[in-house]
Amino acid sequence: MTASGLAVGVQDTVAPSRRRRSPMIYFALAVAALVVVSLVRVLTGAGNLTSSGTVAAALTAAVPIALAGLAGLWSERAGVINIGLEGMMVLGTFGAGLFGYQYGPWVGIVAGVALGAVGGLIHAVATVTFGVDHIISGVAITLAAPGLTLFLAKLYFTDAPGGGQKQSPPIEDVPHVSIPGLSTLLGDIEQLQWFFVSDLAGLLRGLTTDVSLLTVVALVLFVATAYALWRTAFGLRLRSCGEAPFAAESLGVNVYKYKYAAITMSGALAGLGGAILAVASSQFRDGQTGGRGYIGLASMIFGNWRPGGVAAGAGLFGYTDAMQLRGEGAVHALLLLLGIALLVLAVVQLRGKRYAVASVATVIGVLFIVWFALSDQVPPELVSAAPYVVTLLVLSLAAQRLRVPKWIGRTYRRGEGG
Amino acid sequence: MANSDVNVAVRTGTVHALVGENGAGKSTLMKILYGMQRPDEGTISIDGSPTDLTTPADAIAVGIGMVHQHFMLADNLTVLENVVLGDEPRSGGGIDFKAARTKIKDISARYGLGVEPDRLVDELGVGERQRVEILKVLFRGARILILDEPTAVLVPQEVDELFGNLRELKSEGLTILFISHKLDEVLSVADDITVMRRGTTVASVSPGEVTARQLAELMVGSALPVPELRESTVTETPVLEVEGLTVTSPDGRAVLDAMSFTIHAGEVLGIAGVEGNGQAELVEALMGIRPLQSGRIMLQDKDITKLSTRKRRDAGVGYVPEDRHRQGVLLEATLWENRILGHQTRAPSARGLLLNRAGARADTERIVEEYDVRTPSIDVAAASLSGGNQQKLIVGREMSGDPVLLIASHPTRGVDVGAQAAIWEQIRKARAEHLAVLLISADLDELIGMSDSLAVILRGKLVASYDPTAVTPEELGSAMTGAGDGGPHD
Repeated sequence: MTASGLAVGVQDTVAPSRRRRSPMIYFALAVAALVVVSLVRVLTGAGNLTSSGTVAAALTAAVPIALAGLAGLWSERAGVINIGLEGMMVLGTFGAGLFGYQYGPWVGIVAGVALGAVGGLIHAVATVTFGVDHIISGVAITLAAPGLTLFLAKLYFTDAPGGGQKQSPPIEDVPHVSIPGLSTLLGDIEQLQWFFVSDLAGLLRGLTTDVSLLTVVALVLFVATAYALWRTAFGLRLRSCGEAPFAAESLGVNVYKYKYAAITMSGALAGLGGAILAVASSQFRDGQTGGRGYIGLASMIFGNWRPGGVAAGAGLFGYTDAMQLRGEGAVHALLLLLGIALLVLAVVQLRGKRYAVASVATVIGVLFIVWFALSDQVPPELVSAAPYVVTLLVLSLAAQRLRVPKWIGRTYRRGEGG
Repeated sequence: MANSDVNVAVRTGTVHALVGENGAGKSTLMKILYGMQRPDEGTISIDGSPTDLTTPADAIAVGIGMVHQHFMLADNLTVLENVVLGDEPRSGGGIDFKAARTKIKDISARYGLGVEPDRLVDELGVGERQRVEILKVLFRGARILILDEPTAVLVPQEVDELFGNLRELKSEGLTILFISHKLDEVLSVADDITVMRRGTTVASVSPGEVTARQLAELMVGSALPVPELRESTVTETPVLEVEGLTVTSPDGRAVLDAMSFTIHAGEVLGIAGVEGNGQAELVEALMGIRPLQSGRIMLQDKDITKLSTRKRRDAGVGYVPEDRHRQGVLLEATLWENRILGHQTRAPSARGLLLNRAGARADTERIVEEYDVRTPSIDVAAASLSGGNQQKLIVGREMSGDPVLLIASHPTRGVDVGAQAAIWEQIRKARAEHLAVLLISADLDELIGMSDSLAVILRGKLVASYDPTAVTPEELGSAMTGAGDGGPHD
C-alpha cells in the first residue's frame, strides 16, 4: 500500500528527546536563584537569608526530609505507595533514642535503621504478600508507630537518667567535620556583605563548615541510590516492577523479591531519617517527626520520583524551616522571596501554555509581594507554618509533567497477567 | 479440555500461520509451546529432538521467543532498558549500557527493525512497540518466534511493515509461528497454514490452494454469513444533518475539515477509510465528546451542536463504540448495571432521581432474550462474556429507548461469526424501523454489504462517495489511500 502523503503510519523523524536537560541548565538556574536571593537580601537587609548559619541549619533540617523522600522513592519506584513513612520515621527516632543514649549515636543510628526496616517489612508483608491496600497498610503503620513508641518510651525512659515519659535521655552527637582553611576564608568574605559574592561565600561556608557526618552519609545514600536504581541490573528490575510487573515476570524477574527488597530499603531509609532527627536534636521525643514523613513524600512526588528532585524539595523545606528558626524578620523577607519565586514560576508555566497554573501563581505571588510591602512582620502564629506553606506552594506550582510509576498502588499477583 | 489431538509441523525458515476462531484453542497451544502450561499428553520436538518445556525460561533456552498480543513493555523505561531487562549484560557492578546498545543496534540493522535504543517506549507508536517486542526475543537469541495476533493492534501500513520484517526474519533462517484470525493477512504472509477448530487441528493447507472464504469456512465449520441488505428503506426525511464540521487537534491541525453529510431515516451511511483519518474524531464530535471548532449538527431538524453527550443520547442517539472495553462496558460490573449506563436518567433504568433496579433488571432480561446474549445470568460481570456477547449487549442497550440515529463504530470488530451475523441482523432491523445509521468499519465487505450509501474519509474530509451496489473493495481501497479516482484529492 503506497500512501501518497497519507498522514498516518510510522514517522521516520525522531521526536526530540525531552528526557534530560543538560547539567549546565541546572547550574545556571542555581546561580540565577542565588542572584535573586542576594537581591532580596540587599533590599530587605535581612542578612540571615544567606548567612552560613542559615545554610547550615537548612542542611540539618533538610536531611531527615530528604531521607524520607528517598525512602518513598525506593518503595514507589517498585510500585508500592508508602504512606507509612511517617510511622517508620517514628520507629527510627525511638530506635536511636533507646540505643543511642546507652551505646552511643552510631549504635543508635543502626538501631533506628533496623527498626525502620522492620516497619518496611511489615508494610511489604501486608501489601505484597497479602495484597492489602497500600494506603490502609501505610496509615495503619503511621497510626500504630507513635502509640507503640510512646508506650515503650514510658517503659524504658521514665526511670532512666535525664529521661521522661515522652523523651529519652540525651544522646551524644556524631562528629562534625569542616574543610580545613576554607571556613575562615569564606567567613571573611561573608562579613563583607558584598552583593552575590558574600552570599555565595555564606552558602559555601554553610555547606562545608561543621557538617555532621550523618549529612555526609545522607549525601552518599543519594548518590548510591541514583547509581543502584538507574545503572545496575538490580535497579532496572526493581523499577520494572513498579512500571510493568507482568512484563518483568515474563522475562523471569521475581517481582515479589524486588518489591520486598525495595520496601524494606524504604523502611530502613525512613528509619535512618528518624534516627538522624533524634541524634541531631540530642534525644528522642514523642511527636518529634512532626509530619516530616509526609513532607518527604510530597517532595518525592513533586520531585518526579527522582533523587535530584527529592533533594531539591527537601532543600527548599530545610531552607524555609531554617528561616523560621531565625526569627520573624527572616520570615518577613521570605514573603518577598516567595512572591518573586511564584512570579518566576508563573512565567515558566506561561511558556508551557499552562495558563491556569500560571494565573494562580501570579495571583498568589502578587498577594505575597503586597503583603510584604504593607507589613513589617509576619504574625508569629504563621511563622512556624511557613516551611510547610512555602514548600507545598512552590512544589505544587512548579511541578510540570509528573510521571508516576505506572503500576503504583496496584496489587500484583504472580501469573495473573493475562 | 482446551486442546486435544493437535498436530502441527512447522518447517525451519518459514512463516507458519495458525488460524482459528476465538476460543478455538490457539492461545492454549501457544502457552504450551512457550512453557506456560504443560500438555497432559503428546510431545513437542524442536529440530527433531523431543523437548520438555516447563517454564518460559526453558522455552527461551531452546530458542523459542514469544511476542505477546498485549505488549509486555514498561512505558517509562527506554527501549534499551526494556530489551535487556532480565538478561542484562554486566560490567563491574552496573549494566553494560554500551554493549547492550551495540547489540540492539546490530540486531535492529540486521533485520531492518529500525529500533532506537535510547527512546522512551512511551513515545513510540504501536508498530514500533511491536518491533521492540520482536527485538526483545531476538536479543535473547530466539530462533523460533511465536507471534500472538500481532496485527490486532496495527493499522494497515504497520501491518505491511510488520510483514516486511517477518520476511526479513525468515530470510535470515528464523522460523515464525503466526497466530491470527485475519485471513487476508494470513494468506499474504504465510508459507503454510494450520486451521484449528474447537481445540483440535482440522486442516493443513498452503495459501496457494485456498481462498479467504474457504479458509473461513474451515475455521467455522459451516458456511459464512454474508453482509447484505434487502430492499431499500431509504426515505426522504433527513435525520442527521452535519454541516461544515471542523475539529482541530490540540496542536492546531484540522483532524476534521469542514465535513458535511446527511443521513435520512432508513438509510445506512457507511464511512470507509484507513484508520486514523478522522473516523474516531467524527464519532466523538457527533457524540459531543470532542469539542468542535466550527460547524453544525442537526438531529431531526433540531440543533444539537451545543448539547452535552447525555442530552444528545436522550434526544435519540445510540452509540456502539469502537473499543468496547474502554467505552462500551464496565468489565467488572454486572450486565444489568451495564444496561443502565448511558440510560441512567431514563425509564426503565431510572425513576425520578433514583435508579430503578427492578426496571433495569427486567429490561436487561429483555435484551438478553431479544439479542441472544449468551450468558448464565444478568448478574455476572460483563468481563465473563465473550466479545461477541458483550457487543450484542451493547447493541441491545443502544437500541433501547427508541433511538432515531445509531452510530456504529466497528460493530463487528473482534467478534465471532455468529455474533457478527446477529449484529448485522440488528442493523438491518434498525434500518427497517427507519433509523438512520452511521456505520464506520475497517471491513470493506461489511461496509459494501451493509450500506445504502458509502463515503470515503481521507485526512478528515469526505473525499468520495460510491454506490455500494456498484463498487468493489479494490476501488474503495485505493480511494482510501488517496490513490483512487472517485473524487477530489490533493
